[in-house]
Amino acid sequence: MERGVAVMSRANRRLSAHVGALLLMMCCSLSALSADRLVLIVSAKSPVTALNSPEIQKLFLGLTVITHDEVLRPLRNESEEFIRQIFFQSIVSMSESTYERRVLALTLQQGRTAPPLYRNTKMLLDAVAADPALVSYAWAADVAKDPRIKTLRVLWHE
Amino acid sequence: MFSGANAPLAMLLAWVLSTSLACASDNMDGMGSMDGMPDHGQHSSEFVLFLSAEAHHFTAPESSAELNEDANVIADALLAIDRDRFRLLGEFQLSRVEHDLERFQVGFEPVADTVIWLGRFHQPGSAWNTEHHHGRYLQTSVTRPSVELWEDELGIIPQHITGLMVDSRRQVGDYGGLQLAAGAGFGTTITNEGLDPVNLLDPHFGGRRLALSGRIAYLPDFVGTSAFGLLVSHSVMPVLTKSTAAMLRANQVDQTVYGGFANWNGDIWRLTSAVYDVEMNLSGLAGSERNSFIAGYAQLERQFPHQLTAYGREENSSRAGDSVYILVNHPDFELRRATLGLRWDFWRHQALTMEAAHGQTSRAKEFEYRLQWSAALP
Repeated sequence: MERGVAVMSRANRRLSAHVGALLLMMCCSLSALSADRLVLIVSAKSPVTALNSPEIQKLFLGLTVITHDEVLRPLRNESEEFIRQIFFQSIVSMSESTYERRVLALTLQQGRTAPPLYRNTKMLLDAVAADPALVSYAWAADVAKDPRIKTLRVLWHE
Repeated sequence: MFSGANAPLAMLLAWVLSTSLACASDNMDGMGSMDGMPDHGQHSSEFVLFLSAEAHHFTAPESSAELNEDANVIADALLAIDRDRFRLLGEFQLSRVEHDLERFQVGFEPVADTVIWLGRFHQPGSAWNTEHHHGRYLQTSVTRPSVELWEDELGIIPQHITGLMVDSRRQVGDYGGLQLAAGAGFGTTITNEGLDPVNLLDPHFGGRRLALSGRIAYLPDFVGTSAFGLLVSHSVMPVLTKSTAAMLRANQVDQTVYGGFANWNGDIWRLTSAVYDVEMNLSGLAGSERNSFIAGYAQLERQFPHQLTAYGREENSSRAGDSVYILVNHPDFELRRATLGLRWDFWRHQALTMEAAHGQTSRAKEFEYRLQWSAALP
């Protein structure tokens, strides 16, 4: 090793360092790029191919969304505080207190139940993968290599 | 409320509720406590306990009948079970004044946002009660408008029907919606204690007549809470108590109510309003007498920083003071009332509210002062 280093010219060493740094940056960037996109997910077995914004909002308020004769069921991802913030800002588009009050009112008025919460990404993905009726959201990086999960759309990106 | 003859029904209802509660509890405790598992179980059950405690002072003597509206402590337990297209909803209220299964209904949702309910439900022709039901925490004010009072609070319009209801919401345009709801079933009778709907814990259907109720509403935002619409209800109420029949000079009261409402929820402002035209025909052996009156209210709320909400409500009526039905059977009906209040929401789902009102019934004018704590648990 010492010898190898010794025979490498200064220019080559500089080039190698630059290439290494570039590769490292590219890897980090790709990872960050994937992590900075929150995507809507369903099971790969799900017949659902698309959901529009009003349908997503309805679903996560606990209202009924039926596609392909199946009642969809939402799961809330609370594995990170940041995801929780995105949920209120970009998915249901209301403050946390307004959302909680709305869901409570829907229980009182229509007998609807609040979407369940998951605080562990792996368990969330396992649940979604196993049930074609479930709909949730996760970082793109967490689902990119999971063949059991189908991504429907990007909900938020940096 | 309970009688020996109906003990099996009461036990059956208690068993259904306790089983459902256990199911909900198992889901929450067994799964919610595990890291990463859903906090609400399999999202099929929801149990909410609405609690309220109140201190009050009235300048006029209280009503001859103690009103549940004025009870010091009230617990309202709500259970909802949602499995695919089926629903079960139960609401049990407990206070020193009453314990009653307010709602017990089973629903089926054949298409999205259309539910067919069977059981005892709140009639859809009420603007306030279909919004807040018995959950006091969700209504900003301590009191509800007099025209919206429940039957056992000496309310003047029947609010419970035991039968069938269809509630349907349809999307209109990109964001708006239309709600249609209609209910029919066993209605209310009149006794010396006021209106008497079917009590599921001690049911008596004999002598009851058909009650009908409906609403049509435009929702500017399908998932929002603003709504504008028209209401109608019709009840044929036999008078069961001889002394009441003698005072009313009628053994049957036919009541038809036409109403309109506007509920608008802005970012910091909120308006809740309704007006009802109450048409009645009191018929007896000596003939029949028609009387009608108009009653309504408007409640305006404004949110301030620090979770504070100030509100004012004006209730008023026309010709209600001349109605035999009001004078004889509902003398504590507020012919007019002005209410001011301030609510402070703190912690999670808890609120403190103070309210002052000046009202006028057919018997007296009075001031009311109330301080209320309300909560929704968990």
